[in-house]
Amino acid sequence: MIDLDRVSKAYAKGQPAVDEISLHVDKGEFVFIVGDSGSGKSTLIKLLLKELEPTSGTITVNGQVLNTMKRRRIPKYRRGVGIVFQDFRLLKDRNVYENVAFAQRVIGYPSRVIKKRVPETLRLVGLAEKYKSLPKQLSGGEQQRVALARALVNRPEILLADEPTGNLDPGNSYDIMKLLEEINERGTTVLVVTHNKELVNTFKKRVITMRRGVIAHDEEEGEYIEA
Amino acid sequence: MFSLASIATMAACIFLFGLFFSLVWNFTSIVKGAEEGVGVTVFFEADIEQAKIDEIGDAIKARPEVKEVKFVSADEAWDEFKSDYFGNKAEGLEEGFKDDNPLANSASYEVYVNNIEDQAGLVSYIETLDGVRDISKSDVAAKTLSTVNTLIGYVAVAIILILLVVSIFLISNTVSIAISVRKSEISIMKLIGATDLFVRGPFILEGVIIGIIGAAIPLGGLFFVYEKACTYILTKFSVLASFINPVPRGQIFEILIPVGLVLGVGIGLVGSIITVRKHLRV
Repeated sequence: MIDLDRVSKAYAKGQPAVDEISLHVDKGEFVFIVGDSGSGKSTLIKLLLKELEPTSGTITVNGQVLNTMKRRRIPKYRRGVGIVFQDFRLLKDRNVYENVAFAQRVIGYPSRVIKKRVPETLRLVGLAEKYKSLPKQLSGGEQQRVALARALVNRPEILLADEPTGNLDPGNSYDIMKLLEEINERGTTVLVVTHNKELVNTFKKRVITMRRGVIAHDEEEGEYIEA
Repeated sequence: MFSLASIATMAACIFLFGLFFSLVWNFTSIVKGAEEGVGVTVFFEADIEQAKIDEIGDAIKARPEVKEVKFVSADEAWDEFKSDYFGNKAEGLEEGFKDDNPLANSASYEVYVNNIEDQAGLVSYIETLDGVRDISKSDVAAKTLSTVNTLIGYVAVAIILILLVVSIFLISNTVSIAISVRKSEISIMKLIGATDLFVRGPFILEGVIIGIIGAAIPLGGLFFVYEKACTYILTKFSVLASFINPVPRGQIFEILIPVGLVLGVGIGLVGSIITVRKHLRV
């Protein structure tokens, strides 16, 4: 599903943000990516979203080589990759329903599909009752659920979560992680970048620990390893 | 708010363009009218035969720059002279000059050219023709009109180019502001997988709409004001009325309206495309 072969990314002269990483993630896996600030986690996510080009090495996702992908093919590729962020990135002037429907509208789904899929996805994340609420009327945990619904509504094969619990209290963080686990159990490959030691240790998934741009540890059912 | 400011500035630019367009056209019409009245007169050597005169006439008519050639016989020249200089009092002269035309050797061709710029070349050619005694021409009038015409052309092009650049810059600025206001929405669109066209389309459309509205307002205004302005100018400055005959509104606006709208849309399109290409790479 995801293959990185000796991938490096350097922003300027000096230490590269990602340094000759090789990595394989199977379809349907749940992977935590942990590490200190500046260890290269977010750069890795951006490389997988094709927001950044690697300086060297090859990235293959779903059989598509990202290095050689033409610019006009990028939107279609991204439709198969859901993304959630620490700061939710919701449209503040639109309600829950519209935020989720937006993801379908931008890629041209017809209204009848939107009317069916959006309520389904909101039920999945437990927000069916709050579809009319604006983001400011929701708690942090609820806003992250909306962001998750938006990432999932187009049924991506891969879900990338960049610090999804970074702005949430422990209770909400656990709920979001539980939701990610459920999504993974439905067949979506999930990669979660996090600092949350307790959650990583609780969920017992594959843990990739990054340090100064390289993979320091990669363990099945691993634990959070401090720097 | 920014769109309103942009529409207002665009409207001012298109208004100036329209105003200038109308002025240029009217002045060109005045120049053209004056050009048509400026010709050269070709006189022949004394006792020349009519066949030779006809030959000269044919040679002149064969020139491509010649618009019209009019033969004026000695009698016609004398009649015109009497009419021009003595008017109704010419009756007494007829008695005195009966059977004695003082302009007996003044038969001539009046030659008019299509473009006043070609007159000097034509004169040089006629001078080489056998049997031509003299050529009377209005060099000063021809050169002045030609120069004014060219000058107006240059000034018009310069002003229109400046206005174009200013308008494109303003549209670009407005679209940049619209992009920065919707930055977060755009970044989400890109990450979700929106195509270039989907992300850029609304901004390009915004530029085009600004262009259309910004062009339609001044064009409408000019359309309704044009005839009133012409009447006012000719009434206020009655001395102009003798040689200015304003171009009819329909004639000007059947060209100005489509040109103005295309210009507005074009400016909107160019300004917005430049900006989205710069700021919105997926």
